[in-house]
Amino acid sequence: MILEIKDLKKSFPKKKGEMVAIADFDLDVKEGEFVCILGPSGCGKTTILRIIAGLETQTRGKILLSGKEISGPGSDRGMVFQEFALFPWRTVRRNVEFGLELKGVSPEERRTRTQRYIDLVGLNGFEDYHPYQLSGGMKQRVGIARALANEPAILLMDEPFGALDAQTRNLMQKELLRIWSETKKTVIFITHSVDEAVFLADRIVVMTGRPSNIGQIYDLKWPRPRDRASTEFAALRKQILAQLESMVKIEE
Amino acid sequence: MTEERVDRLDKTIELLNKPLVKNTLVTVFSLGMFIGTWWAVAILANLTYLPTPPEVLDALIWSFQNPDPNLGTTMWQNIYASLQRFVLGFLLALIVAVPLGLAMGYSKLFDLVAKPVVELFRPIPPIAWVPFFIAVFLYFWGPVMVIFVGVLFPLLSNIYFGVKSVEPILLDAARTQGASRLQLFTKVVFPYTVPFLMTGIRIGMGIGWMCIVAAEMIGGVGGGIGMYIDLQARIGWYDNMFAGMIVIALLGISTTGIMQYFENATNRRMGIR
Repeated sequence: MILEIKDLKKSFPKKKGEMVAIADFDLDVKEGEFVCILGPSGCGKTTILRIIAGLETQTRGKILLSGKEISGPGSDRGMVFQEFALFPWRTVRRNVEFGLELKGVSPEERRTRTQRYIDLVGLNGFEDYHPYQLSGGMKQRVGIARALANEPAILLMDEPFGALDAQTRNLMQKELLRIWSETKKTVIFITHSVDEAVFLADRIVVMTGRPSNIGQIYDLKWPRPRDRASTEFAALRKQILAQLESMVKIEE
Repeated sequence: MTEERVDRLDKTIELLNKPLVKNTLVTVFSLGMFIGTWWAVAILANLTYLPTPPEVLDALIWSFQNPDPNLGTTMWQNIYASLQRFVLGFLLALIVAVPLGLAMGYSKLFDLVAKPVVELFRPIPPIAWVPFFIAVFLYFWGPVMVIFVGVLFPLLSNIYFGVKSVEPILLDAARTQGASRLQLFTKVVFPYTVPFLMTGIRIGMGIGWMCIVAAEMIGGVGGGIGMYIDLQARIGWYDNMFAGMIVIALLGISTTGIMQYFENATNRRMGIR
């Protein structure tokens, strides 16, 4: 197991008692696995990812990365943000090499090491562009390259294609699968799109409403690329959608 | 009309519609209107303290070529005296405002400690400092210090605001890339603040010119354009007084213009359109 989440709880203090956002969350992720965490908005799925990234602290529970307990953010976990979060004053290349620069890697080595990832995400020729000159899809390619250039043990993706239009989104999903198969990275991918989760994941973790825990886990041993028009794709989509809908009803 | 003439007319209209040509023409027209009105009023009113544009132009040219009989300095020397104080005051303000603004923006504790003092001094108009600074720092450094306090606060506010507006998600991104607290500051907060600093400098420049002229006027000794204008008005040489005012205007326009250029260049480099 590359990632073990044990008995995770996150609560926020309120005037009376506490607001429990996440409770009893346990999950093990195998090396090289593509896990999608799926849930209604406001279910705390982003919070889980931010806790794994070390950007937020849990109220209770442990997270082990390659057997070692994590505390605080670190370059062993790469993160890709929905809002891209690129540094606007840095060019594509300088964004991608940010992590290596922090580590004090020499400029020559930085260049060769980042070029690999720039090529991998298909941004060859755009190295000297600034983020404002790029489309949303290209920005997120930079975001992915930047996360990978640090050579993290695990890739955390927080609704990375949520800000993209439908066509770009589908293209980026295919691109992500290609990048994933080439790098063999473990991916934890947050989304609220059932379609996206069924298209991408080895395993789909469906979250319940508040307090969030795991409602159900679907193992998908389907080959890729997956056909959105196939009957089994549609059937699973329908099943998960129904499950999510019933949860929202309970909430109301 | 012949074909050829129509063609030429078309070409002329096309040329006149080019933005640069159009804007230049409008600028020339508006300045022309202003000078024309001034000229007409000066002739009709016939007041000693309102010279005509050619008289002021004469005085302006003369002041650059000959030393002023009362001050013994040419306009070049006056400009040099004022500019020197301006630059020194500005640099001092930068040296203090940049670290102070960054520290106040970045550290809550430092902000709490520094804020009461800063807020106490901020409302004091820079000109109110003139008597004190002239008394303590005399005629060269006195006006320098007035510029310093005048420019300090716009710089400080802009830098502080810049640090406060750093997007939290950029800090998150840097943290997940393994940035230390120091690196968050040098690699994210500081670069993010640079365009704000540039804006602060441009705003500070306008205030700086106000301060230098006022300080030199009140000071009354030690040269500079402010003193020149004040002296000319006192002895009734109004054409020279207006010449001095025009010099100030031109200096203000050129420094702000240069700064605007640098601000735009920085914004391009910083990836802000």
